[in-house]
Amino acid sequence: MSEILTDPVLIIFILGLAISSYLMIVNNEKKTSMLLISSLSFAFVGITSSAYTYIIHNQMVVQGSTAFCSSEGIVQCGSVIGDPQWNNLFGVPWGIFGILSFSALIFLSLCLYLDRYAKWSEDYLNYAWWAGIAGLPFVALLVIIELTQVENAPHICPFCTIAHISLIGYVGSIYLLRNRRNIGKWSENEG
Amino acid sequence: MARRRKPLVQKGRDDDVRLIAGFTLGTILTVIMLLIVIIAPPATIGPSEGELAPDFIADAYNGENWQRFKLSDTFDYEWEEGGDGEWILVQFSDTDCPYCWTEAETMSELYSQWSENVEFITIAVELNINNHDSDRAEVEAFRDKTNYGTEENDGDGCNSGRNNCVNRPGAIHNWNYIEGSSSILADWEVSGTPFLVLLQPDGYVAWNQYENEGENIESAMQRLVGDSQ
Repeated sequence: MSEILTDPVLIIFILGLAISSYLMIVNNEKKTSMLLISSLSFAFVGITSSAYTYIIHNQMVVQGSTAFCSSEGIVQCGSVIGDPQWNNLFGVPWGIFGILSFSALIFLSLCLYLDRYAKWSEDYLNYAWWAGIAGLPFVALLVIIELTQVENAPHICPFCTIAHISLIGYVGSIYLLRNRRNIGKWSENEG
Repeated sequence: MARRRKPLVQKGRDDDVRLIAGFTLGTILTVIMLLIVIIAPPATIGPSEGELAPDFIADAYNGENWQRFKLSDTFDYEWEEGGDGEWILVQFSDTDCPYCWTEAETMSELYSQWSENVEFITIAVELNINNHDSDRAEVEAFRDKTNYGTEENDGDGCNSGRNNCVNRPGAIHNWNYIEGSSSILADWEVSGTPFLVLLQPDGYVAWNQYENEGENIESAMQRLVGDSQ
């Protein structure tokens, strides 16, 4: 377990989450911008960690093993991403779902960041909120699968968990953004 | 008279930033996809020749008890064409299907000839046809040629209930019988039984019965496994 926690890629992802979280909670005169950057940052960590799990998935399928993640212990990827019964939804690997879902979230946050006063901005903020909320049951399902369904459960796939936390962080950022909009603090100078 | 001032409303940009966001996202996705293809390109998975066989985890009966079985555990990922390795013959069979009843003898003969070079696997499935209900006891009896059902055509036993499983043609099948499922049937695109697929030791499909109507399994094994030894 200690071996996986010293994985440099995992450390980079954890740093990404820490920076995104800091941007979400920091209080300054540009709070709305900070929250938009935070949501973008969470979504970017989410899309890259999803891509990483897809790379691990491909290696597990083609080579039977991966050099990118441990296959032993409780915290590992082998038994989760390497499980043919649970590593996909209707034949599509979860990593692909993650990439597509976070792409949509990045698009919405990026549009808002580039022009938060556009006439569509309120709609896009709501889309981002509901898209993020829609992803949460899938996170719950995947955690249940990790803990109860895969071979020799429980297991925790660290890179999958990074993607899960990214989505939760994204929803948190969008929640705070909606709050600011609702109380009339959408502009920086009203902050 | 004081004029009413219009409230200050922030206006959006004149250009549509959604186009910029779309291009930026496209660039991010292109980079990610390129990295995936370079580092770990996805395999084409399926039952067709040249594809990697669909993996599954299921319970398997080995003659004594039912144990967890993962198909990819039988793969030799280091295998190279022309090298030593154990090929894998996957048979989809229904204990109540008359063609599977007769093919059981062919399977016994193949096993006696090839068991040193080929791992035999039978996936016991239940076709959605009347009198094709089979439980674990029937699968065990079919594999082991033990007493199950009667020789009356009363729906009790193997071969759509026409026969006692003990009278199945061929010898006892000394290989794993896997408990099939609808997801395995779908992944392997099985439309009927018996259905045979021969895998290379590394798990890639070398021969698919549906794609080789002019060649039987005996010839295919001789051509593919025999010539590689």
